[in-house]
Amino acid sequence: MAEAPPYSEKLKSWDRFEAERFSRKAPITTPYPFIDIEKPPEYRGIPHINPEKCIGCGACANVCPPDALIMEWDKEHGVKRLTYNAARCIRCARCIEVCPTGAMEPTTRFEIATNNKEDLVEVVEHKLAYCEDCDEYLDFTERQIEYVRNILPREIFHLYALEDRIKLTQEEKMRRTVVKLRETEGNIYSTFILLNTREGGEE
Amino acid sequence: MTRMKSIWVYHVDAGSCNGCDIEVLDVLSPYYDAERLGVKVVPNPRHADVLFITGPLTRQTRIALKKSYEAMPPKPRIVVAIGTCACSGGIWYNSYALYNTSPQRGRDRLRSGGPEMIVPIDMYIPGCPPSPEEILYGIAQLLGIKEKKMKGEYWIALPPGEEKKAENEVMFKIPERPVPLRYWLSLREELRRVIGYYDRDAVLNDFIGLVEKAFESDNPRERLHDLVTGYSLKEKDSRIGIAMRFIENEFWRLYEEYHEWEEALRKKYPITAGV
Repeated sequence: MAEAPPYSEKLKSWDRFEAERFSRKAPITTPYPFIDIEKPPEYRGIPHINPEKCIGCGACANVCPPDALIMEWDKEHGVKRLTYNAARCIRCARCIEVCPTGAMEPTTRFEIATNNKEDLVEVVEHKLAYCEDCDEYLDFTERQIEYVRNILPREIFHLYALEDRIKLTQEEKMRRTVVKLRETEGNIYSTFILLNTREGGEE
Repeated sequence: MTRMKSIWVYHVDAGSCNGCDIEVLDVLSPYYDAERLGVKVVPNPRHADVLFITGPLTRQTRIALKKSYEAMPPKPRIVVAIGTCACSGGIWYNSYALYNTSPQRGRDRLRSGGPEMIVPIDMYIPGCPPSPEEILYGIAQLLGIKEKKMKGEYWIALPPGEEKKAENEVMFKIPERPVPLRYWLSLREELRRVIGYYDRDAVLNDFIGLVEKAFESDNPRERLHDLVTGYSLKEKDSRIGIAMRFIENEFWRLYEEYHEWEEALRKKYPITAGV
């Protein structure tokens, strides 16, 4: 059932660089650069973005203190890019804490020294949702819409007729509200809530 | 990079908080013992092959760094940036006190900033501070013992429903969960306060497994209580027992709240939902 084993089990499985094999040879000094070792499970290595789960909400880019994570919008091409750079990351793990989908994953990677800064960059490119009425890209991604569908109770989603309005720009939403208000002569409930007129028959 | 035999190092502090300096000191201690690799810290840049820089390059240290770089012998002249600050300016990247000439003030793709504004850097060792193993790995790369493992990634996150065509395209997956996602998110957020972000996912997964079992019986409330008690008796870590008890109460509170809320909504607006 559990994806990650509990902490106590992880700690048992961690083998401290084959202590027995090297105990006679080097009682004090670590044999590290000549063997491969693992860091303890609670070690804060650089985080990693899992592109399967990432929805591009930008919560991580909001909290990142040194701006190692930056969200960029490119509305002409209809994409938004989440850029992570390990050269700026201070491993505070705030992004892991706030990520709603668990797309930011903690790792114990420590062998990250490199001679080229390009190696430290990780980019996830998201596709923006598109408003057909306004012929314009929206601020949020298609994945975010799908995620909202999963969070909200379906009844509420239908009650407020969100399916028709979720892919509209703010201007278009306001325009439609005004049109609806004019039609119903200022009846607010009938504007925002989808009335079942088939059973009632009269309005 | 060519293989070197032993490297003599001159260490420059370019406005560091001394965290990275202490880690460099640790590397020279008997446990990590960088001197067996031929590393020796020398007191004069004229003797040095390699320059270790820590710190984000403040305005005050700019001249000192430049002078020590120029005083080094011209042949190997390798520069190693140790720490996040030395790699990119770190958390201080847009501070008034730094010497930063990058056009976007360090918000570009490569996050330029730090000592790379005035000297070319051959080895980046990020970390805040990097642990001694990380520094040893950087030194081992210079000596040709270890090889580079990092690689830049460019993923294209496909919207839901689209098929994968290229190699770097990734399809969308919302993990299937037996309880609605809104319960899962609220419980996860509450659990962070009790047990922290690190262990919460494992605990929550175990708890949801118990909830699934409990709802198979006629009286889920009592059944869940028994299951949670059994779980916390088995677990030796007392934190997990407390967290389980807490999350059980929280789950029933949420459950009642959501159900009351739905009822109230139906009473207030007597409308058939889902036209």
